[in-house]
Amino acid sequence: MRAAGTIVLLLSGAILSVQTSMAQTGEQEPPCMECHRPRDTTIDPVRFARSVHAKLDCADCHTEGFSKFPHTSSRAGMPDCIDCHSGSVSPTIDFDRIAQGVKGSVHVKLVDPAFRCTNCHSPHSFIPASRMTDASEVIDVSNKSCLGCHAAGDSPSGKQLAFRQLAEKHRLFPHWELHIQRNACVACHTPRGQQSVHDILPKSEALRDCTVCHARNSLLVTKLYTHLALKERAEHGEVNAVLLNNAYVIGANRNRWLDWGTVGLAGLVILGIAAHGTGRWLVARLMRRS
Amino acid sequence: MRHESSSYPLWLRCWHWSNALLFVTLLVTGLSMHYAQIGPRPLGFRSDVLIHNTAGILLTLFYGLFLYGNLRLGNGRYYRIVPGDFEPGLIRQIRYYLWGIFVRSPHPYPHSEERKFNPLQKMFYLVVMYLLFPVMTVTGWALLFPYRLPAEILGVPGIGLWALGHTYIGFLLSLFMVVHIYLGTTGPTLGTLFRFMLYSHAEPEPASTAHGPGSAGRPGSHDEVPVTVPKEHT
Repeated sequence: MRAAGTIVLLLSGAILSVQTSMAQTGEQEPPCMECHRPRDTTIDPVRFARSVHAKLDCADCHTEGFSKFPHTSSRAGMPDCIDCHSGSVSPTIDFDRIAQGVKGSVHVKLVDPAFRCTNCHSPHSFIPASRMTDASEVIDVSNKSCLGCHAAGDSPSGKQLAFRQLAEKHRLFPHWELHIQRNACVACHTPRGQQSVHDILPKSEALRDCTVCHARNSLLVTKLYTHLALKERAEHGEVNAVLLNNAYVIGANRNRWLDWGTVGLAGLVILGIAAHGTGRWLVARLMRRS
Repeated sequence: MRHESSSYPLWLRCWHWSNALLFVTLLVTGLSMHYAQIGPRPLGFRSDVLIHNTAGILLTLFYGLFLYGNLRLGNGRYYRIVPGDFEPGLIRQIRYYLWGIFVRSPHPYPHSEERKFNPLQKMFYLVVMYLLFPVMTVTGWALLFPYRLPAEILGVPGIGLWALGHTYIGFLLSLFMVVHIYLGTTGPTLGTLFRFMLYSHAEPEPASTAHGPGSAGRPGSHDEVPVTVPKEHT
C-alpha cells in the first residue's frame, strides 16, 4: 500500500510539473498560439524563436480581421513582405533587386503572376543565409523552399517518392544523388554571373556547364556561399577558403600552394632529365669525334 | 640470333603496356578535371569523369593480374631484396646514373634471367607498386562512392581528404612515369629498351655500342645466365 501511495504521489507531481511548465510557456507566447499551436503545424515555436521575425508580434503582419474568431481576413488581405523590406540593406542583400529577380522568374512568368515571397520563404521560420554559419544549413534551408512544391507528397513516403522522381531528372550529372543532396537547387537554376538566386530559370535554361562550379573561381562561392565567403575572405584572404573548409568540389578545391608545389617539383624533374639527357648526348658526340 | 626473355613473358608485357595506356588516360583526364577551367577539355568534363572512372576500374583489374603473376607465375622473385647487397647496390646504381653512364662504365647490374631489376629499380618498383599504387586504388574506389564516405574526417570534409591523397599520390606516380620513360632511353640505342619491352627479344648489338655500358657482349662479362638486354632502366 505504501508503495502504491508513493507511485501516485510521484505521478501527481509529474503531471503538475508539466501543467505548470505549459502554463509558463503559454504566458510568454502571444495569445494567438493558444488556438494555433495544437493544430497549426506551420508555426513551430522553436523555429519561430530562431527566425528573423521572432521579435515581432503576430498582429504586426496579421493586421486586419484577425483579432476575432472566426477571422474575417485572409492571407491575400495581408501586407506584403516588400511593405517592410525594401532597398539595399547590406552588400549582399538588396530587396529591390530581389523583387526584380522574382518578377523575371519562371514562377511569376509561368506559374502565378501574383507569386509572393511567402510561397518559398515561411515568415514563421525564415533565417537569412547571412546568419547561418554552416554551409549545409544554407543548402538545407534553401532546398526545402523548392522541395515544398517540387517534391510534394501527402505522406513521408509520398514525399520521398516525389523527391526520388525529381532527383532522377538530374541523372546527367556524375554522382547525381550527391549533387542533389549537397548542392542548392538555385545554384544551377538561376542565371550564372549574377549573385541573385531569385530569378529562377525555366528547366531548359538551367546551368549544364560543369566547369562553372568545378573551377577555382567557382560559381558556388558567389551563389551558395556568398555570405560565408565574405567572412572567410576577411579572415583568410582567400575566396575559395569557404569551399576548402566546407565541401569537396573537384576543380574548385585546389590549394594554390600544393598546386605550385607540384608544378615546381615537376619542373625540377623535367630540368634534371633535360640536363642528364643533354650530358649523355654531348659525351656521346665527343666520343664519336675522338 | 634473338633470344626470347623468360623474365618478360607475354602476360607481363601485355600488362605493362595496358597499364601504361590506362595510366596516361587517367593522368590526362585527371589533370583535365583538376584544372577544369584552365586547360583544354576536348571531350568535356562529364566525359572526362566517365573515362577516368572506367580507366581506373580497368587499372584495378590489371593490378589484380600483376599480383597474380607475382604470386603464382614467378614474377615476384624479381622484387625480393637481397640482404647485405641492397644499400651498397643503391649507391652503386646512383653513382652509375650520375657518372658512369656518361663515361660509358659497365652497367653495375646487367640484366639476366635471374636478375631483372637493379637495386634502385627494385626499391622504386616496390614503393610504387606495393605502396603508392594500392593507396591510389583504394582512394580511387572510395571516390567512386563519395556518398558513402564520412562527411568529416579530422575536421576536414571526408571526401576532400580522400581526394587530396588520390590527387597528389597520382602526381607522384606521374613523376615516376616520366622518369621511367626517360630511363627507358638509356639502352644502347634510344629505342632498344622500348622494343625489348614490346617483343622481349634481345637485338644484335650495333658495333658502336657493343662495348657500351652494361652491354651483353662486353669484354669481361661472364654471366652464366643468358643476357637478353643490354641495360636495365628504372
